[in-house]
Amino acid sequence: MVGRAAEMDRPLHFTTGLGSLTESVAPQLVAGLAVLAHVAEICANYGVKMIYSVYQAQVIPIATELMRAAYIKAGKPEEFQEEDQVRYLSGEQFAYASAVQGIAERERPAANIMIGPFYAESMLFAETFNRIGAIQLAGTARGYQIPFFAVICDYLLIAEEIYAAGAYLSKDPVVSGTIMGQDYGKIVALILMILGVIATSLGSSFIVDLLGI
Amino acid sequence: MSVTYKKTIPVLIVFITAILVMADYFIILPPVTEAGASWTSNTVKMLQNWGIILTAFSLGFGAFNLFLFHSKHISRRTKDQWLFSLWLLIVIALFTVIGVFLGPTSDQYNWIYNASYFALSATVYSSLGFYMTSGVYRALRIKNVESGIFLVVGLIVLAKNAPALTVYFPILDTTVAFIRDVLTTSAQRGIMIGGSLGALSLGIRTMTGRETGFLGRLTEEEKGGPMQ
Repeated sequence: MVGRAAEMDRPLHFTTGLGSLTESVAPQLVAGLAVLAHVAEICANYGVKMIYSVYQAQVIPIATELMRAAYIKAGKPEEFQEEDQVRYLSGEQFAYASAVQGIAERERPAANIMIGPFYAESMLFAETFNRIGAIQLAGTARGYQIPFFAVICDYLLIAEEIYAAGAYLSKDPVVSGTIMGQDYGKIVALILMILGVIATSLGSSFIVDLLGI
Repeated sequence: MSVTYKKTIPVLIVFITAILVMADYFIILPPVTEAGASWTSNTVKMLQNWGIILTAFSLGFGAFNLFLFHSKHISRRTKDQWLFSLWLLIVIALFTVIGVFLGPTSDQYNWIYNASYFALSATVYSSLGFYMTSGVYRALRIKNVESGIFLVVGLIVLAKNAPALTVYFPILDTTVAFIRDVLTTSAQRGIMIGGSLGALSLGIRTMTGRETGFLGRLTEEEKGGPMQ
């Protein structure tokens, strides 16, 4: 995606949706920020302008530091333009959505990455960036929005994949091992579900009582 | 020093905060006051207040960011942008002046909010219908087996929502109920379980300092293992 933006000499757009650091969707925002840092470093290396659209003002200092550190690591700190690349748009959902659509129409990014908690604006973003011909990667753990992204975007991260993305990008074997831990967790959940179906069918509420449902 | 500053201290803050919040949720640690509050609940409440103060402060930071970005466009007369930037700063100034002098609950403030943002917000939300239509058009094209299945299921659900067809083909009701209650619900629950496990795993990684994505791209030396 960054390579495409470099070839077309157009910016790359990144956003983490309506994430807040103090709500239940905070892990999705943190997962998005982990990917942001990685993409910012690649963009710095390839000389691609990266635009990060911010919804929550509290994310600005974190995102600024992440992107500055990425540019420093790439050896190009002078190319990071804070006020132009980290853009606070609005704390209101549809004002933010309109502003992102405005960026898409005016600056025509070649690529768009959306990772985090998305709500009704998901379709507005995906369709607008699709119309301008941007290649898109989207990821969210919000079940209602996954189908919208699946229909329109070129690449999709579904639910736990956004949490695994940061671990995968770190290339740290211990961190990547936690993804295997998730898989073991899913196996346990599956076994419990099968046992629950069998036990309930036989008239026992043992599994239900055990899980306190 | 660099590892301490860039990793150890932030991870330690995250670890202590997370432990306190979890302790407050799962256990009640003595001493407990007459009002039923333990020292963990008081500490967590204090931390939440800090969070509120920081969030309020960051709004000012956001306004400063907006001002910097748009004033630059106005001074440079950026094509297709500077007039929007100017209008934005005028509206911010208008809301600020009315909010400060007349109060954010005054009739005047409420009127300009309802007459401008509220109406525009409803308009943007309504436009979602058109975006969904074009999205559906793209989705309902057979490209492979999966999109073929998607098309068939989509058409069944569309047909069910047309009242006349349901009268002539009552089987549509039961078919759609099966799709909605069994197929879709089981898939959604699978995604939910996976997502919850992923969030749990991310939380543990973050608490133990293994997940450092939110601290920026650390060098190999700065990574230096967890909690040094």
